Amino acid sequence: MKGRRADKTASAVFWILGITVVVILGFIIIEIFARGLLTALNPKFIFGKPEAIKNGGGVFPMIVSTLYLVALSLIISLPISIGAAIYLSEYARKGKVTGFIRFCLDTLATLPSIVFGLFGLALFVVYFQWSYCLMAGAFTLAILNLPILLRGTEQAMNLVPDTYREASMSLGASKWTTIRQVVVPSAMPGIITATILPIGRIVGESAAIIYTTGLFIRNIPVNPFDTAAPLAGYVWYAQTEGQGDYLRVVNGGAALLLIMVLVIYFLARYLGRKYQEKRLLGG
Amino acid sequence: MSANDNKMDINNLSMFYGDFKAIEDISLDIPAQRITALIGPSGCGKSTLVRCLNRMNDLINGVRVEGEVILDGENMYAPGYDTIALRRRVGMVFQRPNPFPKSIYENVAYGPKLGGIKKKGELDAIVEDSLKKAALWSEVKQNLQESGQRLSGGQQQRLCIARVIAVEPEVILFDEPCSAIDPVATQLIEDLMAELKRNYTMVIVTHNMQQAARVSDYTAFLLVQEQGEPGRLIEYGETNTIFTNPEDERTERYITGRFG
Amino acid sequence: MSEGPGISPAATMRAMVTGDRDRWVKLLMFCCASVSFLGVLLIFLFIFRESLPAITKVGIPKLFLSTDWRPASGHYGMLAFTFGTLFTTVAAMIIAAPLGIGAAVFIDQVAPEKVGRGVRRVIELLAGIPSVVIGWFALTLLVPFIRSVTGSSGFGMLAASLVLVVMSLPTITTLSAESLRAVPVELKEASAAMGATRWQSIYKILMPSAREGLIIAVVLGMGRAIGETMAVQMVIGNASQATASLLQPGSTLTTRIVQDMGEASGVFRSALFAQALMLLLLSVFLIISIRLISRERKHA
Repeated sequence: MKGRRADKTASAVFWILGITVVVILGFIIIEIFARGLLTALNPKFIFGKPEAIKNGGGVFPMIVSTLYLVALSLIISLPISIGAAIYLSEYARKGKVTGFIRFCLDTLATLPSIVFGLFGLALFVVYFQWSYCLMAGAFTLAILNLPILLRGTEQAMNLVPDTYREASMSLGASKWTTIRQVVVPSAMPGIITATILPIGRIVGESAAIIYTTGLFIRNIPVNPFDTAAPLAGYVWYAQTEGQGDYLRVVNGGAALLLIMVLVIYFLARYLGRKYQEKRLLGG
Repeated sequence: MSANDNKMDINNLSMFYGDFKAIEDISLDIPAQRITALIGPSGCGKSTLVRCLNRMNDLINGVRVEGEVILDGENMYAPGYDTIALRRRVGMVFQRPNPFPKSIYENVAYGPKLGGIKKKGELDAIVEDSLKKAALWSEVKQNLQESGQRLSGGQQQRLCIARVIAVEPEVILFDEPCSAIDPVATQLIEDLMAELKRNYTMVIVTHNMQQAARVSDYTAFLLVQEQGEPGRLIEYGETNTIFTNPEDERTERYITGRFG
Repeated sequence: MSEGPGISPAATMRAMVTGDRDRWVKLLMFCCASVSFLGVLLIFLFIFRESLPAITKVGIPKLFLSTDWRPASGHYGMLAFTFGTLFTTVAAMIIAAPLGIGAAVFIDQVAPEKVGRGVRRVIELLAGIPSVVIGWFALTLLVPFIRSVTGSSGFGMLAASLVLVVMSLPTITTLSAESLRAVPVELKEASAAMGATRWQSIYKILMPSAREGLIIAVVLGMGRAIGETMAVQMVIGNASQATASLLQPGSTLTTRIVQDMGEASGVFRSALFAQALMLLLLSVFLIISIRLISRERKHA
């Protein structure tokens, strides 16, 4: 039967496509780890300081820069995201204003990260005269992550059943009290899960941070207005300069980044699963 | 029944969703410290009516009300009336139990905390007292920190009743409180309501006629005559009379099960 | 216990205070939501501001519509790079669109549940891999491979396009899978009940129903490809002339910026900002296209 044969061919094609995707990922992980896993796990690499001329040494200041950047950026973007999510899910009515806000969010979501980088350079580094520093990067990334974080936060709030809001208001609570004491706390697990994707984004981002945070430092950044060199940007920089034992640094750095991403990914799955359980039990 | 015995007077109350009239020209007495039941087929407006009594319908966009609801001599629909204070005096128990995703303790303490009570000793006393009045204390006193949502359906509903009691209301509205609960738990709650009558005025919406007959002192029968029409009050009186010797033939037909 | 009746002055004031507080809160939350508008506005303003010197000194035709890129002598025509961006993006989509949609069909329809879930997880993981890591992978594996097969240097438009395939694949697959899942089950069941084979159902019913979502998935994948920087820059060869040859090195708007920004100053720097402005315009164009597609569906 012609239909049956076409069906089998089609099935085979789709299986090949599905497997291709897995193979691509497999190649990437295997290649990067084969070249750099040993370096990445070497304590001297993780905790050592970089060498400027030889382009070797360790990447400890870079790791600290990345973590510091994540923390700062979240401190800036979480309150704004939660506020915006509260507005969109609890106060806003469908209309031109909300539609316009969503258009702005869509635009932000589609902009290339290098445009954010140049923007951050023009505004924070030059115009505000902060120079290359963590704060410039943190603010730039906060705007970059706003659409993603907002989507997850808003979804978390929309999932809070209306009946909780009703119960609260029927007890004589005002709308704001209801939001503050019932809606947001109920949505908190979902909000936390929603931060994972932005964290991954910050760890992997390079184009937006090399023009705002910095490319190379020797010592750990302490002050938020210190120059810093997050790992992803440094790996790119080392590869571009191509001097000394850059191969070791790039291999190790890439593997280290991959490890960080994997950890974040599995953490997200774990948190997501716990949150699902809690919702199903509690709903 | 003199006007002084009424906790609430409903006078010519109509409610609109936009252009659609949901209930029309309802006038009803809610006697103090008695249970008044609202019965009628699905969609007759009984839930709509009861939600007018604590202005919960205000939360829906495009809702408009005509007429009055008088609580202790004041019209709650007068301009400038404090709806937040109103809801502390007129509490509500919903169809599906809806405890917050918090501990049992925090659920019951929520209302008092809104009222400004902060001292742990005071809150502890209120929580214990409310849970006792809701006939739930003995079952949960060891586990006050556990999530309220882990209780069974019937227990959750009693938790919601305790939550309302903690605010020290004068009136408690029940919107089909047992429709999502098993018969054994339902019996418990009906017994509870008979106890609560001593201290609270209660209005209960129910589609279960036997429940209305068992539990209430006064009954109001509502009906939508034809599709598209608003719900209207057909008959109102002492429960005994309504169920044994109704005046209106439509009431009689509903009670004997010939429709709806 | 009960405070006085509702219209006493104290109660009215409390109602007013609560009402006022609600209004302040609403305003504050609105400000948070407006950050999105503020962000877009500031980005546009500052990028434009920095491009202005180049626009005024070089002029729009010579800046946007010329392929003459010789910064040393004051020529800043970016057309070659605009072309590079579009060329690599389209080339990438030729592979990524069928691959991504096909993988989505696989996940949603063909694969047994556990396998489907596994592939979905793989896609999610792929989405999170940093650009520099993919770029490094391409540099160490892909470029030598192309070199050995074709005898060219390995760097160039082909390598860049393949990198873009990998980077846009998760977007296309995820959004396509969502669109497929959104097709009502009744449609799929009705088709099966009529005796259609699985492939016939997919081809004739499922995909057309999801068509709008699939198109949007590809358009957003293009957006991702247009904006990619690091991974592409590492393998494209960074030449400054336009080329339609897959094996020749070239540049895109993004790679040119990152390649030259470190050394640039004055008008040169401003010309690079103008390229960022071009990218901004391309993004807005994509968003409007998506809105138009969605609106068309609603009227259909």
